[in-house]
Formats: sequence, C-alpha cells, structure tokens
Amino acid sequence: MKPEPARVVVVGGGPAGLSAALNAALSGASVLLIDSSSRLGGQYWRHLPETWLEQSELHLDLDTGLLLISAVANHPKIEIWSGAEIWSATHEDGAATLRLITNGVEKIITTKALVLATGAYDRTLPFPGWDIPGVMTPGGAQSLIKGNGIAVGKRVVVAGSGPFLLPVAAGLAQVGCEVIELLEANSPLRWLKSLPTLIQNLSKIGEAAHYIAIFNRFGVRPKFNRAVVAAHANQDGELESVSIAKIDSNFKIKKIERVKCDVAAIGWGFTADTSLAGALLLKQLVTKDEGVAVLVDENQESSIAGIFAAGEITGIGGSELSIAEGVIAGLAAAKYIGCKAEISNNHHKTRAKKQKFAKALISSYPVKSGWQSWLTDETIICRCEEVKYSKLKFAVTELGATDSRTAKLLSRCGMGMCQGRICGRFVVDLVANESGISPSDISEKERISVGNRPIITPISIELLANGE
Amino acid sequence: MLTLLVKPSASITFTFNDLEVSAIPGQSVGAALLAAGDRVLRVTRFEKKPRAMFCGIGVCFDCLVVIDGAPNQRACITEVKAKMVVRTQVGGA
Repeated sequence: MKPEPARVVVVGGGPAGLSAALNAALSGASVLLIDSSSRLGGQYWRHLPETWLEQSELHLDLDTGLLLISAVANHPKIEIWSGAEIWSATHEDGAATLRLITNGVEKIITTKALVLATGAYDRTLPFPGWDIPGVMTPGGAQSLIKGNGIAVGKRVVVAGSGPFLLPVAAGLAQVGCEVIELLEANSPLRWLKSLPTLIQNLSKIGEAAHYIAIFNRFGVRPKFNRAVVAAHANQDGELESVSIAKIDSNFKIKKIERVKCDVAAIGWGFTADTSLAGALLLKQLVTKDEGVAVLVDENQESSIAGIFAAGEITGIGGSELSIAEGVIAGLAAAKYIGCKAEISNNHHKTRAKKQKFAKALISSYPVKSGWQSWLTDETIICRCEEVKYSKLKFAVTELGATDSRTAKLLSRCGMGMCQGRICGRFVVDLVANESGISPSDISEKERISVGNRPIITPISIELLANGE
Repeated sequence: MLTLLVKPSASITFTFNDLEVSAIPGQSVGAALLAAGDRVLRVTRFEKKPRAMFCGIGVCFDCLVVIDGAPNQRACITEVKAKMVVRTQVGGA
C-alpha cells in the first residue's frame, strides 16, 4: 500500500458531511468525501437528477442543499467518491483504515483525520402485519418522492410520532396521494412544555405553518393519541387496511377502528447509524430517546484523537444542527492535520442554540413502552430471519436468555442481512420486559452493543478476493 | 400506474421477470418497478411471504432482487440501467 498524503476523509454526503468537507477544504486541507449514495445530499437533501424538471417545490430546503452540493462538487481540493460502501473500519497507530467497495472494486485507504457523518434512518417498532408489502417507513415513502419522482400509493396513512411525519404527509399530499390519516401517537399537550424553546427558532415555526397550509389545502386533518397497531393483507398478501387505535399516554390501546389503505408510512423518529463508529470502537452514549450516539467533545472530536463525528450520529437533531456540527468538525479535522483553521465562539453558539431546540423536540415525542402490548405471539420481530415474538419470548423465558445478545443467538433475532439495524433497538426493550427489567434500568452497555458489528455491510467473498 | 411527478426526456427499458418495464435514468430499480405497478420484490425463505421496499434507503435489506444473475441486490438503492435483467428473489436465491 502506498503512503497516503495528509488529508481529511469525510464519510457521508448529507448536511453534516457536506459542511465538514467544505469547511475542511476552505481551511486548506485536501479532502476525500466518501458517500454511499449515487448523488450527494444525504437523506435530507435527496434529490432527482439534474436532467429532471422542477423539484424544489417538493422540498422546503433544497436550495440550500443544492448550493452546498455544488460548492463541494466544484471545490478543487475535494475529491468525491459516490456510491462507495465502507464495509470495514479499524484504527491503529494514529490512523484509521477504511475498506470500501466502489464501482464493484474493493479499495483500502488510511487517514489520520477522519470525519464521520453517517446520519440516521427511521426508527421502527414492530406490530402485527408490519411485514406486509405496503407498510413502510416515512423516510422510505419520502425517498420515492425526493429521489425518484414517484408517489408511493393512492390511499396513504402516515403514523408514528415526531415532527418528521409533517413533511412526509405534506409531500405525499402534494404529489397526489390521498393522505387519509395523519396520526401522532403523543398528545399535543407535550408541545406546550417545550414551547418557549420552539418560539426561539422562528424558522421552524415558519416551517410548521407551511405544512399546516398544505394540510388545509388537501384536507389532511392531523389526529393525536392515535397509532397504527395492526396491518391486514388482501388475498395477494399486500396491504388492504390498518387497525388504528386510540391510545393512552403510555401507548396502551383504548379503542380500535379499521381503515382501508394501500400504504401505511409509520416511523418513530430516527436511529443513528453508528455502525462505522462502533467498528472504530468510538465511545458511545445512550441518548434521552433510548437511542445511541457517538460521544464528542466541544470540537466534535470523538474518544479517539483525529476521528471526528457530526450530525445525527452524535444525537438526533435535524439538518440545521447537523450543519453546525459539520462546520466545526471540518474545521477541527483540518486543524488536526496542521491547517490554519479557527473555531470561533459563534460556531459554538450556533450549535448550542440548535442543540437546545433538538432536545426540546425529542422530549415532545417519546416512545412509550405500551407499544409492546400491540404484539401477538405471531408478530414478526426480526424481518430478515422471520422470527416471531413467541420465539423471542421462548428464548428468554424457557432458554434463559437475560440479555439481547444471548436472545439473538437463541432466537436468530438480528442475525439477518440488515444485521439488527431494524430490530436491534427494540429487541433490547422486548428482552428486558420479558426478564422483568424496566426500560430505564437497561444498561448503557446493552443498548450500545446492539449497534456494534465488525463487518459493517454484507459483502461478497468474490469482491474481497479481487480487491487491493 | 402511479403518477409521475416530473417528465424528464429520456427513458430506458429493462425487464422484470421477463416482462419489459420502462424507467427514467436516475430512478432506483425499486422505484421504477413500483411506478410500473410491481410492488412485491421478493418472497421470504421460510414462510414464502411477499416483501416490498420497507426502509427505502438501503438499511433493511427487505427489497432484495436478483439483478443480471446476482442475488441480494437492494432494489431501493440500485440505480436502474438500460437492459437490466431483474427477477423476484425467492428465498435465499
């Protein structure tokens, strides 16, 4: 292997990664930006190819994204590898080594300064019928609009919890789906507690007003304290209807009605993609929403010197916080390799303001443990391995598993191709419940360990054999 | 057939289970198939249940299809190319 030049490697082409790459380059660093998607922008600024027509109407904040993407793409010091999937990452003797597949070929790179901005994906909860074609995540439904220009279905139910449901429902209505229900599981009263913080972020109020105007135009009427608790298939095995329940403040079912639909987009906030951080053995912590985040200092540096983290992987907080963190991480990484870069008080102040807002939002949309009462013995828990709830319970109550790792070995939950990305987070809660442990007593180690895996993404032996 | 939001000029064709499907360059295989009315992309190994795109962003591996003979390809993040031969993935393929 040839020695690598001094440079900053940024992983992730979303708001945080783009901001980090640009700011590192503006400080004089050579930058390599690695992104798994074929077009920069991440999930937030996912967009159609330039040859397509008008798309900005579908996306409130795409202009900022396209400006940033073009600044990054045209910067002479930034090299971009799109469609590159990192499958292994290690750190030794002050340098990180990344192994990745790009254009069907394996490549290995090493770097002293690394910025991780690997983002997040929809947090999901299992329920009877959630494996039926037509049930999907809100992020998935939105990606079909933003990245592919198609409407996901005709009659759509949008449900779950969190502010992300608003742009998804609005987008679906705008592209011609009939949004027959928009259901928030929590009570609107929860917002009141964080109202003072929300008011300080005027742009967010404008955003909410924008979505409400769209809902009025298309006759979408949001309902609260309601959740989709079961999905039902037609004779072809595809989605025909969902059971919508009125739920109490702990998410226990009070009353159920059936609603016909061909798509149900259901999400519960986000899960940070910490798989790369976990492989590098960066210290992680459990966040207020029982998720996992990479621990960083005030300059976004992780527990390993020279490795920085920014955006959703340091705690879910939205695009504006991701940008603020990305800017600091980019500057700090450039400084780390000897470039002249100044991180000012203003940078820290902007980030603090966005952090406060993110914190207020998260406490407004908790996921309460009553969701576990929606499950039946037949409910699929691990989609990949088709493990039913009865089998997971058996692993705990009969075979003696007391932690999710043992339960995984005894039930195969989380052993499929997604490597527990979908079920890992809630299997921890299910196993704890069966063992009589309350969600708040689940150890930090237990929650963090489910996201850690040495091989980051499934890879074929053939590709490895042909690599460097 | 679902509504197409924007009308780019170019169009390409590929096949899904031997039937011709048209797509727009830049779309994913999964999106092009959904637009053509094909939502079910694979059949599970054990219970032989139909599955479709779920996460839509390459995380869940539920939308696996066989592309040009290679199994376990994620339809949601694989960009469609002219003359691709796509098949439903049955079981572990």
